[in-house]
Amino acid sequence: MMDPVLTLAQLSFPAPVGDSMLAHYLFVSAAMFVIGLIGFITRKNMIIMFLCTELMFQGAGLALIAFGRHHLGQDGQTFVIFVLCVAAAEAAMALALVVLLFRHRESLSAEAWKDLQG
Amino acid sequence: MEQIINPIALYTVCVLGGLGVAFALPRRDQRMQILGGVLFAAALGVAALALGLKASQAGGLPNYFFYPFALVGLGASVRMITHPRPVYSALYFILTIIASCGMYLLLSAEFMAFALVIIYAGAILITYLFVIMLAMQAPTSTRDELLDDTDAVAREPVLAAALAFILLGILTTAMFRGIGEIHPAGNERTALNGVLQYLPAKVDRVLRRADMIDDDEQVLRLADGTAAVDADTGIITIENTDLHTTRLITGDEWPENLEASNLDRLGFNLMHDHPMTIEIAGIILLMAMLGATVLARKHTEYEDELKASHARKLGLDGSPNTNAGGQR
Repeated sequence: MMDPVLTLAQLSFPAPVGDSMLAHYLFVSAAMFVIGLIGFITRKNMIIMFLCTELMFQGAGLALIAFGRHHLGQDGQTFVIFVLCVAAAEAAMALALVVLLFRHRESLSAEAWKDLQG
Repeated sequence: MEQIINPIALYTVCVLGGLGVAFALPRRDQRMQILGGVLFAAALGVAALALGLKASQAGGLPNYFFYPFALVGLGASVRMITHPRPVYSALYFILTIIASCGMYLLLSAEFMAFALVIIYAGAILITYLFVIMLAMQAPTSTRDELLDDTDAVAREPVLAAALAFILLGILTTAMFRGIGEIHPAGNERTALNGVLQYLPAKVDRVLRRADMIDDDEQVLRLADGTAAVDADTGIITIENTDLHTTRLITGDEWPENLEASNLDRLGFNLMHDHPMTIEIAGIILLMAMLGATVLARKHTEYEDELKASHARKLGLDGSPNTNAGGQR
């Protein structure tokens, strides 16, 4: 009978994560990143576009943590902390921009701004 | 190296997933969206089967909690980009985050899992929800289900899904080729417990609790303040503070609960190896806060009036009518 807490913690912690186990996590992280990318390209609502960038951050973070666990190092987790910082800063700026743009056009659509000149 | 996934299965997953997402993206026809969802679910199932069967042959199957977390996470992220209503998108994203927290737990990153719940689900997403609710009009009886084109119809769904899933195929192929050449660095015990020599008080506490040292004994502190703990061999040097004698605790006697926790190692790594990055992160956050405040500031009538009255008081207003005090 396995201790449920131990089961949740991947049983024997110091055992390294093998290649095929790592591949599971990498597949999920790549799929998450790609889904975020599709959302960013296809959706027109600016808030959802920025949400999709957050989803891409999530995919990158999962890959970082999985590789960190694979190497038994801490750098992966440390960098996820910095990714969180950047995501928070990005969310603040993006939402401020969205609010600003919404006041001008009364619309969240990115296409309302397609006449912007570079 | 052994094959991690059958290439045919991998590319089938990419094609099925691409089709599924392309159909499931918001469009006027609900039935196509349901078909897309079914296709995407099939892709997930094929991926889980193909990866799982290969892994069980190689003996590297992940914890079985992984599969529900992965399915919930990916399903919720697809629902997030396909749901026409932004509020529901944000809520589905919270579901994705909680599922990836589960995967973080499986990868023994407990601190990051909880930090993710607190920061992402608790702070960032709530901010998003606030902005969505500020910017969207509530559906009234006249325009209840009539969403405008912005949210109801996706732009270039087929092209985007095709390109993105080609990218997924290439990414996964490259990753699955490359992993075999990377190996965990160093001795496991060193990697995990090397931090302990910087935590003499913790070592003292654990040893004392395990009744392995007396009250007048402690771990020998070296000249630079670190503890005499050799994580490689497991030898701990104990010093008697009264008599100034030393004795050794060997690796066999090493108490079971004497180990650096995930939080110990993460905190040490953060503060010892990346101090400058913390400073930069702080600056980025501060600048983002300032920038957001400046960008989202509303120019009110009241403010303009106040400025004008200040200008009048200082005699800066150029018009002769209001500038009576200035001309004597």
